[in-house]
Amino acid sequence: MRLKTPFIALATAGVMTLAACGGSGGSGGDSGDSGVDRDKLGDTGDAQDAEREGPVEIEGAKKGGTVKVLSVNGLNTMDPAEAYYVNTASILTGLVTRSLTQYAYDEESGQMTLIPDLATGLGTPNEDFTEWKFTIRKGAKFENGKEITADDVKFGMLRAMDRKAFPDGPAFANDYFEGGADYKGPYSGKSTDFDAIEVDGDTLTIKMSTPFPDMPYWGTFPAMGPVPEGPASTPEKYRQHPLASGPYKFAQYNPEKNLTLVRNQAWDPKTDPGRTQYPEKYVFDVQVESAKIDQILLADQGEGQTTMTYDDVLGADFRKFSNDHKDRLVIGGQPCTYYWGLDYRKVTDKLVREAVAWAYPYKDAILAGGNIDGVTRLSDASALMPPGTPGRKEYTAVEGHEPGTTDPAKAKALLEEAGAMDYELKFLFANDDPNGVAQKDVIVAALEEAGFKATPIATTTAELSEKRSDPDSDLNVRSSGWCSDWPAGSSWFPPVMQSTNLDEEGLGANYSVFSEPEVDDRIKEILQMPLEEQPEAWGDLDETIAKEYLPAIVTSYTGTAQAHGSKVNGHNIDIGYGMPTWKGIWVS
Amino acid sequence: MSQPPIATETLGSFSEDPAPGDAPTSKKKNGNVAKSPTQIALTRLRKDRVALVCGTIVLLLVVLGVFAPLITHLLDIHEKQEPGLPGLTELLEYDGFPAIGPPYYPFTWEHPLGIAPQTGYDNLARLLYGVRTSLLVSTLATVLSTLIGVTIGLMAGFARGWPDRILSFIIDLFLSFPFLLGALCLAPIITSRFSADVDKLGRAQLLALVGVLVVFGWMSLARLVRGQVLSLREREFIQSALVIGVPTRRILFKELLPNLVAPIVVAVSLMLPAYVAAEAGLSFLGIGLTGIPSLGQTINVAYGYFDAYSLYLWAPVIVVMVLVVALNLLGDSIRDAFDPKTRR
Repeated sequence: MRLKTPFIALATAGVMTLAACGGSGGSGGDSGDSGVDRDKLGDTGDAQDAEREGPVEIEGAKKGGTVKVLSVNGLNTMDPAEAYYVNTASILTGLVTRSLTQYAYDEESGQMTLIPDLATGLGTPNEDFTEWKFTIRKGAKFENGKEITADDVKFGMLRAMDRKAFPDGPAFANDYFEGGADYKGPYSGKSTDFDAIEVDGDTLTIKMSTPFPDMPYWGTFPAMGPVPEGPASTPEKYRQHPLASGPYKFAQYNPEKNLTLVRNQAWDPKTDPGRTQYPEKYVFDVQVESAKIDQILLADQGEGQTTMTYDDVLGADFRKFSNDHKDRLVIGGQPCTYYWGLDYRKVTDKLVREAVAWAYPYKDAILAGGNIDGVTRLSDASALMPPGTPGRKEYTAVEGHEPGTTDPAKAKALLEEAGAMDYELKFLFANDDPNGVAQKDVIVAALEEAGFKATPIATTTAELSEKRSDPDSDLNVRSSGWCSDWPAGSSWFPPVMQSTNLDEEGLGANYSVFSEPEVDDRIKEILQMPLEEQPEAWGDLDETIAKEYLPAIVTSYTGTAQAHGSKVNGHNIDIGYGMPTWKGIWVS
Repeated sequence: MSQPPIATETLGSFSEDPAPGDAPTSKKKNGNVAKSPTQIALTRLRKDRVALVCGTIVLLLVVLGVFAPLITHLLDIHEKQEPGLPGLTELLEYDGFPAIGPPYYPFTWEHPLGIAPQTGYDNLARLLYGVRTSLLVSTLATVLSTLIGVTIGLMAGFARGWPDRILSFIIDLFLSFPFLLGALCLAPIITSRFSADVDKLGRAQLLALVGVLVVFGWMSLARLVRGQVLSLREREFIQSALVIGVPTRRILFKELLPNLVAPIVVAVSLMLPAYVAAEAGLSFLGIGLTGIPSLGQTINVAYGYFDAYSLYLWAPVIVVMVLVVALNLLGDSIRDAFDPKTRR
């Protein structure tokens, strides 16, 4: 799942701690079995089950009870068209809104399986994936009892294509649907005329501008769900109360403070192959301090027994959880990669870029950032695509460089060879975040030891992402991260490594400001390739880019370590989001 | 972190001095006949055991702070991550807890108070530098706000009429301005202004912190001095000085100021601990110092470890507490010593 830029920015700075810690005892501690399983990190798996039908029943699960969910991060907009943060998107799709397709957790493999949701199957493409047909199932209802029709789904899609009304939402529909780039949307464009989506009875036909084999994955997004047309779904109102089509509906919602979900009586389990409705209600309390959340969960008293969090436990408390409360600690992967994007326009010498790869203090930076080495961050990272992504190859970007190791002498030698001793590297850090400052200190120390001149530029947590995405800011290194939207290279290379029009679009997610016509062409070529050949082609491209150009130094992969009270059951990690598997939670 | 409270009840006044009009400067040559109020106060202080103990503690902390670089050098401990020192991977375990010393390993002389989780800083070095920063900030702020407060108070009290009203209005204006809000607004401005040079940013933050403390700290002293001047102004020795045409400057500095020494000393001695606490508080909130070691900042990062690694949290907390309590008690003793109304 793609995390939008602000989220990553904050995560990097340590404020949004969803993706924040990491570590498997690489550094002398043995985290052995408590560490995250590296091979399954971003492995949402390519498992699909187009035939699955509801209702879902969990053996031994009881009905009733209230689940309290705590987090330090706010819940901003809850409009399905705009929910593009891992927390909002995961809560909406898991509990409140339905989409064309959905993921279900597979207990055995620990992976996610793509299954139908409102559509009766996973869609039928034409030969070259330029047209997709979905049949909307009968019997699914909104919380107000109205039957969900194909027209509602179409309107939901059109709505989400309104880039001006929902600037922060995902834009895949605009990018891939035929005419999507020019369509202004029902609010900004005041028009619902959009020929690429056709409704015929209960069948939706979507025409694509380019082949789009990943449509069933895009179909899992809340933006690909039904929204009734009318005054109730104007952006201002709907973000306060999206109409529920899933098992829970909004009872009370104060943006950035709390959210109460109660059972949606109109939801029929027979129509839903993925979700369940065991707890009476969910109470989300956000902007609670991380240390407090950990203490509540460690104590496991009273209400704490039915409490859970989707934040990572703090480094200070991880050991206690893993020693004494192992059964209540849930560790899993997240399909994210953090990297140091070296500005391709400014750091032009490849030897210098290789020197950075030798000089960067991978493990030290993980520790200084407050992460748990081997659990919430993994330092042995090389490929841009995280482990588990289909087609991914293990390779070493710089010859002889073991991923995650630092060798200042080698870096110095390379700098000397390039005639670039005291090469200046300018990068941002958040001065008001102790983690950011500590991380900056170790990076500066390591770079200077390797013969670089490190110039950290101070900024605030609030301004960091804006400064970083300004192509003209006086930086030559941008630290950032990216999480895949779905397990495929197509969710990595077009956004992260394809050149952008800097004047019009800015950097986008291409933080290395990487631009090589050859790579651009290759990306376009791969997108046109037959589906079964794509994964390997992406894996090759990953290696080619790193070995030939090295525009980014991959610094770490991520995992997550969450905790829950002793009465919460079914809390696993949805590796697509790095969030809890909401669909299987019940209270004992 | 509110404004330094300088309680009005601390105002020792000399109006009940048995010899009215006898300015302390006009010391009689014959020492055994009369002592200046300051001398009396010092004699009293010397007999006060609380004052002696607190004075010793404060002196000790001052020495530790002043000689922090020397002490850390002698012990070979470092307050910062520097090239050439062992990397974090050697100091810390996978979850950021120290791999040397407390809480999981035995005591070591290499790091007498252990090392900080996550950053690997030596706790003792951070503590010493923190004390140094605390004392530096609070002393600077105290000196500056005393200067400003006394000057404005003297002018307002002596001027009468419009100037007094304007100055009093300014005092009230600054009193009504929310202190925390000002500090909160200033922090990001400073950061963006000095973003390119981290060393300069550190100095700018230090000065800005002193500035904030001074801007919101001088008013109570100014009010206090103004009140004192208002009453002294009508006394005979001032009146006669005016009549014989003594220049205003001379009246202010030679006639009035010496009579104000006691309330000023008292106010200063109570301002100092308030500033120490305010510095720690602001740094705890993340709007004070970030680049420089500071006790408040250490407490801020350490409070999550209260259970797992309590030494890390308690060491700076106890030092701040001891420093503030010692300064406060010393201030109380000074007030008592200067107050002619207390007879012990």
